[in-house]
Amino acid sequence: MEKQMFTDRFASVFGTESFFKKQKRIALKNCGLIDPENINDYIYADGYKALGTVLTKMTPKDVVETVKASGLRGRGGAGFPTGRKWELTAQQESDEKFVVCNADEGDPGAFMDRSVVEGDPHTVIEGMAIGGYAIGSSKGVVYIRAEYPLAIKRLIKAIDDARKENFLGKNILGSNFSFDIEIRYGAGAFVCGEETALIRSIEGLRGMPKSRPPFPAAKGLFGKPTLVNNVETWANISSIIVNGVDWFSSIGIDKSKGTKVFALAGKIVNTGLAEVPMGMTLREIIYDVGGGIPNGKKFKAVQTGGPSGGCLTDKMLDTKIDYESLMQAGSIMGSGGMIVIDEDSCMVNIAKFFLQFTQDESCGKCIPCREGTKRMLEILTRITDGEGKPGDIEKLEELGNVIKKASLCGLGQSAPNPVLSTIKNFREEYEEHVYQKKCRAVVCEKLITYTINDKCIGCSACRRACPVVAIKGAPKEAHSIQQELCIKCGKCFRSCKFHAIDKTSEAKEQK
Amino acid sequence: MSSPLAVLEAKKQQAKKNLEEIGYFSDVKIYVGMATCEIAAGSNHVMEVFQNAVKEDKSLKGVYLSQKGCAGRCNLEPTVEIYQKGKDPVKYVKVTAENAKIIIEKHIKKGEVIKEWVGK
Repeated sequence: MEKQMFTDRFASVFGTESFFKKQKRIALKNCGLIDPENINDYIYADGYKALGTVLTKMTPKDVVETVKASGLRGRGGAGFPTGRKWELTAQQESDEKFVVCNADEGDPGAFMDRSVVEGDPHTVIEGMAIGGYAIGSSKGVVYIRAEYPLAIKRLIKAIDDARKENFLGKNILGSNFSFDIEIRYGAGAFVCGEETALIRSIEGLRGMPKSRPPFPAAKGLFGKPTLVNNVETWANISSIIVNGVDWFSSIGIDKSKGTKVFALAGKIVNTGLAEVPMGMTLREIIYDVGGGIPNGKKFKAVQTGGPSGGCLTDKMLDTKIDYESLMQAGSIMGSGGMIVIDEDSCMVNIAKFFLQFTQDESCGKCIPCREGTKRMLEILTRITDGEGKPGDIEKLEELGNVIKKASLCGLGQSAPNPVLSTIKNFREEYEEHVYQKKCRAVVCEKLITYTINDKCIGCSACRRACPVVAIKGAPKEAHSIQQELCIKCGKCFRSCKFHAIDKTSEAKEQK
Repeated sequence: MSSPLAVLEAKKQQAKKNLEEIGYFSDVKIYVGMATCEIAAGSNHVMEVFQNAVKEDKSLKGVYLSQKGCAGRCNLEPTVEIYQKGKDPVKYVKVTAENAKIIIEKHIKKGEVIKEWVGK
């Protein structure tokens, strides 16, 4: 019964809502249930029981073995086996070791980590303290982005309260284990979510990645062995210790155990945070948890893994959500962003959006990423502007593959993914843009034609709205747009109250 | 010397006492979502309404009011949960300051659940 208490309290409160029915809460077990600023609430919900258990009954080696046996893998995106990371760091001989929590959540549209830190900060602290005990470290650092002021405030309060209660500090709970945590702020650079860049940023240096090996487990923060895990990974630890390895590894499938939190966004009825068991299909999460596509629109694609991930089509909806299956389908698990795209979105434009982000965030250290993404973005911009040339798509593929292979860190290695996966799955849309100057979703501004239909009553609203005087017509008579003057700003379309202006993008004759 | 688990058990008892003192085990409990997302949706105004009511309205004496993190229902925020002893928790969604006042009058004082505002 007690085991159920620890993670099933959430279901007892929220289980009746269809959004939560297929969910399984481990990392988010307390989010939405307890007062994050009251440590008593956490302790009373069996908080710090895992830390107490570890300090009473387990050797550091036992803890490492437990995490290893659980099958937990890094929730930050890459999915490296967490226990293996712990083991590697534990094996290092050093006078000092560090535990780092990566809370530099930079993917556009992802907010899992913020939610955990804001809703249940103690679970992260507890996880880190257990990690410290396991690898023989007495110092933890949370690297959190400064754009999360409330999360920072709550984390600071939680750390202070934990110190007062001796869950942090010297001789924790009367044992001979000492551990403390400090906070470092990230200034908002996406690349600082990459562990070597993150470490440099904590050291006060410019946030740029280093080549690995040596891995942080051997030479990390200030040259000492360092264990870096993501917020969500840390939030899983206490449940694994309290409920046991068998319980944890019974959730999920084969090589991916436990759950994953996804931030559902885009064209989906229930936008929100969903924690689902690994192995659930994309269809289940989009339609059963997410409630499907709003306004009767047709599903077109789902983008997982943020700017490092790829777009999957309706044919791949039965792909299981686990590290390997998503990789095989051409995307990645990533940190958990899931953006649903409907027929009103242009895939070329979406690829351009993500590439714009990574191009902007490229730190500039290695040439394939710095120069390559810039050139790719130029080509994509050209295509969406209706100036695409034959051979552009092939050039994008070539560039993308080189960048993937030749970049130093995960940012560059994954930056072309949104472009490559959309070319793979939606090549005909790219071809329409390049060869027919057509955008089937009617999104790419320069490829749109505005025309006035016979519903026009001659009210002149569009004529007055047009900034380039491209609309002609006497009052109370049908108006017309002079295409050679039109700059496609869309002001006429928005000003018309009679649905008399059509916005279309048709294949154009090639000169 | 007592074990860390024994120390923790003592802390849990103390936590229970501390919670008792602030009315945590009250028959009526109100939780208002106060994560960044909820606040952006206006939950601070909702919180204010409940705070004032609990402070000033004598018939709400002993009601426990608390903030909470977000449960993940972005499109339905702000959310408010009402726990009443012996009953299933009622979860209101898209709560406004105006709705909060009505929830206090109808639900908390008279026990009438306002079904159309409950999340599904």
